[in-house]
Amino acid sequence: MRNWTRDISAAFARAGHDGDIDIVEELAQHAEAAYETARAEGASAADAEADVRRQIAVWTREASALKRRPRRVAAPQPPPATATRLTAGLLQDVRYAGRMLRRQWSFAMLVIGTMAAGITATTLLFSVTYGVLLKPLPWPDADRLVVLKETRGGNRPRFNSFSNAAYLAWRDSPATIEGIGAWSPRALTLTGAGEATRIRAVAATASVFRTLRIHPLAGALFGDGDETAQNGDVVVLSERLWRERFGGDIAAVGRSIQLEGKSHRIVGILPDRAAYPDRETLAWVPFRVNPTTGNLMSMFEAIARLRPRATVRQAEDEATARALAAPAPADLEMTIRAIFGEGGAVRVSVIPLHEALTGEVRRPLFVLFAAVGLLFVAAVANVAGLQLARSTTRAREIAIRSALGAGAARVTRQLLVENMVLAVLGGTVGCAIAAILHRLLRSLLPPDFPRLPDLAFDAPVALFALGASVIAGIAFGLAPARKARRLNLVESLSEDGTGSVGAGSASTAARVRTVIMSGQVAVACVLLIGASLLGRSFVALVSADRGFDPSNVLTARVQMPKFVYPDHRRAELVKLIVERLRTLPGVSAVTFSDGPPLGIYGGSAFMLDERRVQAASRTITPGYFAAMGIRILDGRDFTDEDIATSRPVFIVNRSFARRYLSATPVGQRVRGWVREERGHWEIIGVVDDVRHRGVIEPPELEVYRYRERDNVGVSTSPTFIVRTAGDPAALAPTLRAIVRQEDPSLVVDSISTMEDRVLASLARPRLYAMLLGGFAFFAVLVAGVGVLGTLSFTVAQRSRELAVRAALGARAADLIRLVLRQGAVVGIAGIAVGVGVGLVASRAVASLLYGIRPHDPVTFSSVAIGVLLLTILASLLPALRASRIDPLRILKGGG
Amino acid sequence: MDALARELKRGSAELMILALLDQRERHGYELARLIGERSQGAINFHVASLYPTLYRMEDKGLLDGRWVEKAGQRRRRYYRVTAAGRKALKAHRTVWQNFFEGLNRVAGIDHA
Repeated sequence: MRNWTRDISAAFARAGHDGDIDIVEELAQHAEAAYETARAEGASAADAEADVRRQIAVWTREASALKRRPRRVAAPQPPPATATRLTAGLLQDVRYAGRMLRRQWSFAMLVIGTMAAGITATTLLFSVTYGVLLKPLPWPDADRLVVLKETRGGNRPRFNSFSNAAYLAWRDSPATIEGIGAWSPRALTLTGAGEATRIRAVAATASVFRTLRIHPLAGALFGDGDETAQNGDVVVLSERLWRERFGGDIAAVGRSIQLEGKSHRIVGILPDRAAYPDRETLAWVPFRVNPTTGNLMSMFEAIARLRPRATVRQAEDEATARALAAPAPADLEMTIRAIFGEGGAVRVSVIPLHEALTGEVRRPLFVLFAAVGLLFVAAVANVAGLQLARSTTRAREIAIRSALGAGAARVTRQLLVENMVLAVLGGTVGCAIAAILHRLLRSLLPPDFPRLPDLAFDAPVALFALGASVIAGIAFGLAPARKARRLNLVESLSEDGTGSVGAGSASTAARVRTVIMSGQVAVACVLLIGASLLGRSFVALVSADRGFDPSNVLTARVQMPKFVYPDHRRAELVKLIVERLRTLPGVSAVTFSDGPPLGIYGGSAFMLDERRVQAASRTITPGYFAAMGIRILDGRDFTDEDIATSRPVFIVNRSFARRYLSATPVGQRVRGWVREERGHWEIIGVVDDVRHRGVIEPPELEVYRYRERDNVGVSTSPTFIVRTAGDPAALAPTLRAIVRQEDPSLVVDSISTMEDRVLASLARPRLYAMLLGGFAFFAVLVAGVGVLGTLSFTVAQRSRELAVRAALGARAADLIRLVLRQGAVVGIAGIAVGVGVGLVASRAVASLLYGIRPHDPVTFSSVAIGVLLLTILASLLPALRASRIDPLRILKGGG
Repeated sequence: MDALARELKRGSAELMILALLDQRERHGYELARLIGERSQGAINFHVASLYPTLYRMEDKGLLDGRWVEKAGQRRRRYYRVTAAGRKALKAHRTVWQNFFEGLNRVAGIDHA
């Protein structure tokens, strides 16, 4: 085939015209078409060529008319072919890249869009991973801060983590730590400065602040004297509360606020940055660790600071040795059982603070980050595939530049610069989107997610986005650049870029494309497996049997601060509200509990037929089981008659009965003491185990007693539990109204259906499943687009081969099968790799799974089948295109 | 007579090009060939006038010329009518319609 472009420009040049390159190319197109037509009409090659030459001669004479005002972006002037220095002409390269992209803006938009999506997802997840796991904690030398945990006989305490016994044994002149501090969370009602509110506070020893090395923003932090309230009650306010209530006025220090109805003098302001344990804590009151006396033992949280060269292990050994050596009063034995279950040797574990804060989310975050990394790699591979396809069409441009003297290095650099420009543009767009979405991130994450305030779109995050873009640019620029280095000049220039028969499937580029496609399918497979496992696990968690029925239950917590509502008033109010709720239509049962329905309560130990027994003790009212939907397996609920006659009866759960009682526990009379009350007790019922701590933890041993018998007051924040016939949420306004009618100043501060509470307790598994599901969705999209685009390109490139096949008698169905087979091969290879990687990778999520095994065959096989179908679906369009190839047109060169 | 033919041709060129491109997008050679074929040789476009006409129409926004690159092929330039081109085509058609009707009434030339 003639190279008309060259002929025409030569003719124009001879005639002294500098033909616009676009016009010359268009004329060449015209010449070629005229030639083909003449040939088709039966002229010999020589005649046809002579005819076209005559036409070119005419055009050359009329060349002065063949001009146009330049309007469209002119073909960019390539940068100089040779560069003397490495950096010389780099700017020119960038400008050239810019002009190239402007000419092919739809391609550029595709690449930038793909990059932006990848960078957005990766950057967002990086910002979480970085903020939570990598960013240093806000306290000085925080790597030496540790959290202390105590076990007895290997058992963890039922609540809090450290006892006063172990604390006091280690506090004085320790060798491995600089200091130790104790704290305990509190909820306090704040009055006296603005509206009365319930705030999150912490009771902390003065040593907590010393250990953390926190300095106040104003005033002072606690001194040891404050713990004994020598100078009256004092409080340290958070910077946030100080600004809210006092407008940041320094004179607030020394003034008083009312906490729980008592006046507290503000001694200092704690900067938000250094707030411990978190920034939700608004005030700190003094905490005193009392020595163990009688059978009293107190539990709290403890932190310490290691000495500069002390190790965690050394600290553990010292603390454990000291705790073991401490005198153990005999009276304490029952209390220890109540708190730790079985008694046994004390042991102290020392856990770096950072690990303690983030331990639970560490693995999920790494898994998610790995997932998003895979997704990013798949997206970059997509771009690389596109670039590789495009490089085939650009082979002539590159060949010409090489022929004009551009060295391989020079061409490589220019291609890399071009890709880098694309990558950085995509990265910038992605970074901007991530910065916007970052604002939504905090509302997306569960409120108990660690270190939420440390999440920021800051310099390291932006740097990461930029770095990822640059690496991606190099990655997807290398493939075409490598290809350009191996370019056969003679072939590219002489063949006019038309592929030869069979070249489409056998070349290295084709093999690379197949590997890329299979890789994308594999990534989609791995992410789908992970997402399916987490998704099915989440469904299993939601529908797991917790021992109570969360459907059709409304719960509402009401705040009744002690100083406003004394014991008898609280009891009276709760009784009134319960009675009024019972009379509502559609309400089948009403009760109340002292704490949140899914919370943990104190334990107690008691004697049972001279055996020491430990169980959680719950104080309830008749109707509790009906309202909670807890199954009574045997016997009965408490009755008003029990209460009226003050009968010594209790109800146990299934685990308790199995552990301590005979096969027929109901009616069994046991001798024992509970809460100092010795006597004979009758077991009147057995109820199903309730999993308050979550379905993964084993059920607790529980004993239920009725409130009047225990003679305990109603808690200051009782939660009403209402079972309804219809939608429980619809009852919420009525409930609020009833509470307000009983006492207008009562505040319902948390109202939600039990199902919502269960879901809220599953916020993290849901988040992980949703995120991984989202990534998997994008991975499938990327793989689908990758397979579709690459196969379409392959079909276009193989059009001559396919046309020859068609001309030789291949039917449409044969051609379709040919392309589908290619797609299926890619799919099967990808799935094989994906399933293999999935089998290994699913072990990483094993600890996050519930009710499903990491190698669940149903998940793996359904993902494999689904992905295979998707791959074939994505190959269908290119296959149909192949079947519609017109051999006559293709083989005549009409494309 | 030659001069008149040239003037007529120039005036009608835009109409013909717009009409042909109204059906689908085409490249230059196809336009030239179709005009030749459909006028049964009566009207022939020289390359030297066809392309400048196309460029002029493109500059006027009546056409949109674009390079199409396909894998393994020389890039080709295709033209298509813009919305403004369609409006111009309608206007052209009316003008010529009126002109032919007038001509017919005066000189007895049937254009249909």
